[in-house]
Amino acid sequence: MAETAAEKAATAKRDRVFLVVVDDSPEREVALKYACLRARNGGGRVALLRVVEPVPMIEWAGVGVLMAEERREEAEKLLSGLGAQVQEITGGMPILLIREGEPRDELLALLEEDPRISILVLASAAAGSGGPGPLITALTGRHGSRLRVPLTIVPGGLDDKELERVT
Amino acid sequence: MQVYLPIAEMSVDAFLLMGIGFGVGWLSGLFGVGGGFLLTPLLILVGIPSPVAVASGANQTLGASVSGLIAQWRRGNVDARMGTVLLAGGFVGSVAGVQLFALLRRVGQVDLAVSLFYVVVLGTVGGLMVVESVKAILRRRTATRRKLHEHFWAHGLPLKMRFRKSRLYISVIPPFLIGAGIGLLSAVMGVGGGFMLVPAMIYLLGMPTSVVIGTSLFQVVFVAANVTLLAAVQLGTVDVLLTLLLLAGGVAGAQFGAQMGTRLRGEETRALLGLLVLGVALSLLWGLLRPPENLFSTGPAL
Repeated sequence: MAETAAEKAATAKRDRVFLVVVDDSPEREVALKYACLRARNGGGRVALLRVVEPVPMIEWAGVGVLMAEERREEAEKLLSGLGAQVQEITGGMPILLIREGEPRDELLALLEEDPRISILVLASAAAGSGGPGPLITALTGRHGSRLRVPLTIVPGGLDDKELERVT
Repeated sequence: MQVYLPIAEMSVDAFLLMGIGFGVGWLSGLFGVGGGFLLTPLLILVGIPSPVAVASGANQTLGASVSGLIAQWRRGNVDARMGTVLLAGGFVGSVAGVQLFALLRRVGQVDLAVSLFYVVVLGTVGGLMVVESVKAILRRRTATRRKLHEHFWAHGLPLKMRFRKSRLYISVIPPFLIGAGIGLLSAVMGVGGGFMLVPAMIYLLGMPTSVVIGTSLFQVVFVAANVTLLAAVQLGTVDVLLTLLLLAGGVAGAQFGAQMGTRLRGEETRALLGLLVLGVALSLLWGLLRPPENLFSTGPAL
């Protein structure tokens, strides 16, 4: 039985993955919500990336190990909490990714390595904070040419109603 | 270029001092340490009197730690409440330390005491560091999971206080005593004491690692400032010219070191730091043990 174009499109849609970078900014909530709504309305999955800061040079090896462990645990806790939120909206468990290093470099490296990711979703910082945020600035400026997937920028000031409308 | 140091009462080559400042700044940037424990013995080795060397070491630590503290404070990694308790202990300890120092100076044993402190403290710390990192290099050991709520006698002490950022509800007595001990070392050795404070906070107080570095810097900065101030006021051992020359070298060195440090990580670096600490202790030990060039010195009879 031959697949119709519509069916093909539907499968493709289900396979697409929206990547949201989980940082500590207030606008990450908006990016996450947008990605969830798009995934729910149009099919697809959500992936959450948390970049953990590498442990600085500490005099004691044991302290360094403990520190790395605690950071990883914290990241896992945060991601599983957000994962539950995502599941509530989309009905599917998101892909949880934890990497260690500099956020921008790790994000670009992930996009290069992981072919599953189809769209990167970032939310811009609210007005009056002097720029859209470091990742957007980097990816639309100097590092724009290294981007391997389309980038969606969600205005950080959108409320739930407006988000529903644009998704 | 010889310059005369008014407080140390001696002439030294200005470029040598700037070089020492550069080297110590470079290492402290590289390893992320205060550098007081390196500067004080180096100054003693080039012939600066111990009291002046100790005061300069405290001053160097202060300078090296302030920017770190500001960065940690901005990111909310300082438990100010715990820091204040530690600091209260630190003030008591450093005031006591300066009195001890003044007493030692009166009886003329200050050089010996400073060297002994260095040999014992740095010998222990350096030895432990080397052993720990060699173990870690030999086998990627699986860290034994720390139990989060281990109760021992310290938890029965009175004067309990809630430290929200550290997620602790403990007596203020242990942190106060730890702070006092570090303050004493700081006054006698001219070190910040972060290398002992950090493990003490984690293993003795049970603080989460995320706030440990910021909070220890909080204590180190204010205690080092207090030691410098007391040394200047009570002992009169802070040499402005010496400090200026060391800082000029140190600022430049720290930049280079910090840049290199981002590329140098891990066990090997740590082993190197341990060896360096151990080397400093051994060189001071040698200074104590080797027979002096003039076994007897003659002076005018009093």
